[in-house]
Amino acid sequence: MQIQEDKQGDIFIFTISEHLDTASANPFETRLLGCIDKGELRVLVDCTPLEYVNSAGLKVFLLAAKKLEAVQGHLVLCGLAPSVLMIFEMIGFTRIMRIVPTREDGLLALREGDAKA
Amino acid sequence: MHEGSIIIRLPVAVSEIEKLNALVRRFGELHEVPSRALYAVNLALDELVTNTILYGFDDPENQEFEVRLDVSGTELRGELRDGGRVFNPLEVPPPNLDAPLQEREVGGLGLHLVRSLMDRLEYRREGVKNVLTLAKRIR
Repeated sequence: MQIQEDKQGDIFIFTISEHLDTASANPFETRLLGCIDKGELRVLVDCTPLEYVNSAGLKVFLLAAKKLEAVQGHLVLCGLAPSVLMIFEMIGFTRIMRIVPTREDGLLALREGDAKA
Repeated sequence: MHEGSIIIRLPVAVSEIEKLNALVRRFGELHEVPSRALYAVNLALDELVTNTILYGFDDPENQEFEVRLDVSGTELRGELRDGGRVFNPLEVPPPNLDAPLQEREVGGLGLHLVRSLMDRLEYRREGVKNVLTLAKRIR
């Protein structure tokens, strides 16, 4: 899996590639939780290229959301394909995470600071 | 859609999960299984096989698991057999989806997906093997 990192103002942006599975969840977890440990409080994960996610990948989003909430930070996800969004709904993550359609929506939500789920 | 079946045997190792996924996709495409059903069965098998690989064996060396896929009639059926410790994944309690974020636990997510995605799931112990069968309607 490829993970791209960008920064726009105080918003840290990850763009992840097609497959987030058992093998790729570990490096993603290290980088996402690592950036929160370093003090990033506004994090956007752009899932536009993502086609497939399993529970190992879902776990990373849950850990990041919990960690950020505990320090009054915000996690926003954007660009979820219908098949991926279906999995997030099935596991109840749409109730505890802020999920928006596009990257622009995500940046806007995080800038406004109303990113709480 | 074409009827047919395949048996896949792979070593008990994390690196094999991706191989299994690729083979399941390929099988589904060749048999013209609707993509929604294929996606669901692929993900369910991924979750079950991952559990077997990570937790099923004290010593996974030289161990194998077997996946059988079958397209017939109105269903795509799968069967996972492994010689790991006795484990019935259907007995794992579902996660509390209504819990607030800080109380959501990371365990049980995969098996919840399996139960939600499949139309039918059965577990049995056959001698020294765990046998899990699953089915997804395709029309």
